[in-house]
Amino acid sequence: MTQNPLLRVEGLSKHYVGSRSLGQRIAGVPRTVVKAVSDVSFEINKGEILGLIGESGCGKSTLGRAVLRLHEPTAGKVSFGDTDVTGLDAVDLKAMRRRMQIIFQDPYASLNPRRTVNEIVGLPLRLHNLATDEATIRKKVAAIAERVGLKSNQLDRYPHQFSGGQRQRIGIARALISSPEFVVCDEPVSALDVSIQAQIIELLLELKRELALTYLFISHDISVIGYLADRVAVMYLGEIVEMGPVEKVLAAPRHPYTQSLMSAVPEIERAGRKGRVRLKGDLPSPLNPPPGCKFHTRCPLATEFCSKERPETQMVSEGHQVACHRLGENLSLLDGVSA
Amino acid sequence: MSALLSVKGLRTVFETRAGIVRAVDGVDIEVERGECLGVVGESGSGKSVTFSSVMGLVKSPGRIDGGELLFDGRDLRSLSPQELRNLRGKDIAMTMQDALTALNPALTVGEQIAEVLEIHDASLPASRRERRRAIRERSVEILNLVGIPAAETRLGQYPHEFSGGMRQRIMIAIALSCSPKLLIADEPTTALDVTIQAQVLELITELRAKLNMSVVLITHDLGVVAEHCDRVIVMYAGQVVEEGPTREVIEKPQHPYTKGLLASIPRMSLRGQPIRPIEGQVPDLINMPAECRFYSRCGVRKAVCKSLISMRRVGVGHRARCVRLEEASS
Repeated sequence: MTQNPLLRVEGLSKHYVGSRSLGQRIAGVPRTVVKAVSDVSFEINKGEILGLIGESGCGKSTLGRAVLRLHEPTAGKVSFGDTDVTGLDAVDLKAMRRRMQIIFQDPYASLNPRRTVNEIVGLPLRLHNLATDEATIRKKVAAIAERVGLKSNQLDRYPHQFSGGQRQRIGIARALISSPEFVVCDEPVSALDVSIQAQIIELLLELKRELALTYLFISHDISVIGYLADRVAVMYLGEIVEMGPVEKVLAAPRHPYTQSLMSAVPEIERAGRKGRVRLKGDLPSPLNPPPGCKFHTRCPLATEFCSKERPETQMVSEGHQVACHRLGENLSLLDGVSA
Repeated sequence: MSALLSVKGLRTVFETRAGIVRAVDGVDIEVERGECLGVVGESGSGKSVTFSSVMGLVKSPGRIDGGELLFDGRDLRSLSPQELRNLRGKDIAMTMQDALTALNPALTVGEQIAEVLEIHDASLPASRRERRRAIRERSVEILNLVGIPAAETRLGQYPHEFSGGMRQRIMIAIALSCSPKLLIADEPTTALDVTIQAQVLELITELRAKLNMSVVLITHDLGVVAEHCDRVIVMYAGQVVEEGPTREVIEKPQHPYTKGLLASIPRMSLRGQPIRPIEGQVPDLINMPAECRFYSRCGVRKAVCKSLISMRRVGVGHRARCVRLEEASS
């Protein structure tokens, strides 16, 4: 990691506090707290793609949104360049949002059905006073629309007149029209068919090169992250358990959770030759996460110690960090099964 | 022995105001006994409609417009609704993609399994009390089979009390309750995380061997097919475009669409190289012209492709619907 990351996240947490009925309050029932993201730290360098993987409910989307303060973080600090994003007031935050954008997962829910493409994509220009007269806005919208693969005669159409892939292009155009430097891509290709998914991935990579963008790319699809990310962070129950360069983390994972995740990915290439690390049970409820290492309830390597103490993050090699108590023993779940 | 399920020239159409949608247009599929057949295709390729037609589940405005459906030597299209009902759930069972909407939210899991047994299991004792006990025992046994812990108590719970992976298991449990000869699993793992997906797919593979049944796995994920299926059928815009042994189709795809599909799957081994997406979109199934359906997106199209194309043999059990096979491979 270099000295000047574009984005630095330190100890970021996001907790959701549940509500109580009057009766519960009188009875003294404590508030329920969901620790969606707890004490997460990472950096992203300029021009880099950091992939964020994990199963549903692990907090990856919450993390992406907390970084942009779309969900106000409970604790921690986010710095963008020299600016402390977490300390900005509403006016400065709005100005900051021009430089930090997001592409959402669901191209059906994230576009206002009652606005035309021109209105949807042009809105950031109006909000940030980047263009005020209709003609300029339309010209800029047409330019970005063409770049993402929409036709200029489609600008007055409504979202329902487009297919899923086309809608995702509208979402991309909206995110990029204000010339941001950093974009959170929150599962941008998960809702799409394979051939359309490939088109959108190619588009996002081309745009990154042309516009010198930096991405935080959230996906549950490990193959997608393996293809496009420079570094990858693996989340489990609100914590980053392993992080490092893609070649290291995905090819030689050290955390038992990453190992089990990798062994579960169906692959067309080495089919039939690979063993499977079986995990017991489902993801525990974040309402009541297990103590100690959160993975110990499903970990085949867990000892009693793992259920007591939260593991510290350790560096295992240049830029590759893992949080696991049993790291020193160099055990690999993958060795046992592939024999 | 003849194939367990044989679909010949199946045509299923939907009559809409905009015109007739030929969702399934001349599909031939054979499912052998004990095999796992993968059916791959993108949304709108007709894979789900094909098997809904087999199950007799196509509802108005859709209808079967032609073709032959033979299951275990019986002509499914000539069966009366009652005969079909006796067969469905007992000999052929289907699990749906979205377990939350496919299960009845107002009935307990136990009640939903019991319903299937009540209708189909002739071996149940006649007396009401014994019958109830037998159904309960059998239900617990089935839930254990699909790996649901504490089956006794789980029977009294409602679908919303289960996680996504558990719900999918319950659907599989219901489908398996009468030991069908054929299980049609429609996107059984699409909504699930990879670790849970692996568990569910392994369960299906394990039960297939144990119960000696045939499985049709409908999916859009070629990785899933590669790991679990003996043979694969690739569908595009309502037609089968390629079929063959899984390894052969994946290693030596013949149809330009299959090639494109394989080339467009992002994976770690392709880092740094551009993936080559198939340009354009699936064509509109209304008023399809009489030409190769992949024509508008194909990289090797020629004038000759502007005509109806039939399946051609390219290897042992390997066929593809493309006139340019000879040239493309050379």
